Amino acid sequence: MSGGIKIRESRCRGCANCIKSCPTEALRVIDGLVRILPDLCIDCGECIRSCKDKAITVNDDEWDLIKSREGLILMADPTFYVQVGAYSRPRLMKEALEHHGLRDLSEWASLAFDLAAFASARLIRDAGDNLPYISTYCPAVLRLIQINFPELVGRILPVESPLETAVSIWREETGAEESVTLVSPCPAKATLVRNPVGREQSSLEYVVSVQKVIRDLLACNVKVTGTKTKAISRRWLLWSISGGESRHISSFFDKGFTSISVSGLRNTQDLLNELELGRLAGVDFIECRACDLGCIGGTGTYESRFLSQLRLDNIEAEWMPSGEEMEQIRSWYDKGIWRLAAPVTAKERLPLSKDIKEAMAKLREMDVIYAELPHIDCGACGRPSCRALAEDIVRGQGEVTDCVFKLRERITNLSGEIKNLSSKLPHTLHPGRKRR
Amino acid sequence: MAQEPYVEEYAILAGDFSAIGEASTKFKATLKMLGIPSDLVRRASVIAYEAEMNALIHGGGGVLRMTVYDDRLEIVARDEGPGIPDVSLAMQEGYSTATDEIRELGFGAGMGLPNIDRNADSLLIETEIDKGTTLLATVIFPSP
Repeated sequence: MSGGIKIRESRCRGCANCIKSCPTEALRVIDGLVRILPDLCIDCGECIRSCKDKAITVNDDEWDLIKSREGLILMADPTFYVQVGAYSRPRLMKEALEHHGLRDLSEWASLAFDLAAFASARLIRDAGDNLPYISTYCPAVLRLIQINFPELVGRILPVESPLETAVSIWREETGAEESVTLVSPCPAKATLVRNPVGREQSSLEYVVSVQKVIRDLLACNVKVTGTKTKAISRRWLLWSISGGESRHISSFFDKGFTSISVSGLRNTQDLLNELELGRLAGVDFIECRACDLGCIGGTGTYESRFLSQLRLDNIEAEWMPSGEEMEQIRSWYDKGIWRLAAPVTAKERLPLSKDIKEAMAKLREMDVIYAELPHIDCGACGRPSCRALAEDIVRGQGEVTDCVFKLRERITNLSGEIKNLSSKLPHTLHPGRKRR
Repeated sequence: MAQEPYVEEYAILAGDFSAIGEASTKFKATLKMLGIPSDLVRRASVIAYEAEMNALIHGGGGVLRMTVYDDRLEIVARDEGPGIPDVSLAMQEGYSTATDEIRELGFGAGMGLPNIDRNADSLLIETEIDKGTTLLATVIFPSP
């Protein structure tokens, strides 16, 4: 679903540079503008990274409009708290926000992330032989699995994103009903709000990018008072870097816990391929992130992911929750508020036909069409590959002459015919004979 | 009127470890386009992958062919390698005749044929020493 990605048509040149960057071939250029195929888009943001004209962006709400609302409440992604130099501690960022008249739910987030890790550990412990489980945390990876690895949907941990759970806990505990705005580092997490998987509707109402909020805070020269207040536990911040979630879950295991954490799309696809082939025996948990280095590499962040990583490396987290924290975790665990409301299901592309005989006939037709194409995947037809064009044609969404090489071939043939025909004269009009 | 089946063939080149898994990936894409249910697709991919591996590691290369009918699919792997001296031994999990070189590459765990057997509804192996081996694995589509 392209809920997380927005195209700024005024900036799009239709250059087709982006269409080859998409891991699910979800982009087409039609009538000079890029279009997203909603049933293929996983909201990973590769197209955002590849567009030189900045025509593709995170689909967030207008921060300028939102921030002026009364009693604005933010649910900020952990990446938010490591974006700026001096603000390497969430307490400082929280105060910066409060100076700006904004409230955040970071304490609730801390509890929610603890809860998610605890629940995950329990599920993994009780899974017996049916492992590995796959993390839900990255919504782009979730969609990638639904579309490209549907056989693996049963392995997805039925644990909700802690960003969502934090808001649910806050509402249940305080009875608050105000709307909450997600501060997201990427288009994928924007879909938590716009098009959630595994639940009917999000408990969050708006979404803005980390980049916009940080820029705004910096522009307003918000100062930090440096008051000594209770430090908010920092282990949840480490979910923003690849491996953090696994580390958190492992802290709830007293014996062995084997996990693999990868970041970046290529690594994610390779790992999921290996899992599908049954080559990952002995692994309990798999953590995949679509962005390099994890969420700190998201397209909606402000800071360089390398500097964010440096800051995170300097955070010393206390992995063991206090007795009081454990009590809270257990109590919310028993309530089941962490659980995904609905199981994740496969979302495969429609086959060529519902009837297998017709599908075979169409596939043959597609092979014939494909054989006639140049096979250089140039993108001039607006499709990412010649195979994609052949498929579009057979699905009734394109013509062979969309290919500029086939068009030229037809014109050459046509002009050959014109030349041929124009050299023919009727028998009654021979040029050699005199006319009276 | 008999429906013509859909056939896809893939040549496995001797010693070409860089292209491993390509055959099963292509077959998988085809099956998805045809609308075959995902659990059947998974089984077919595992069969194709293991058959491809066997042809490469032991058979000196060969041919992999998938034929899709409207009620089943068949995967045939044919090589002209050394043949299998004792098929029942080869079907044992963990038994492998892979060379050290192969094992260093991470293959040859002895799970190939057992894996194919586990995922296929029927498996036929025809083999002759110094002549070659042909495998025929069938996955039946459950009636709707």
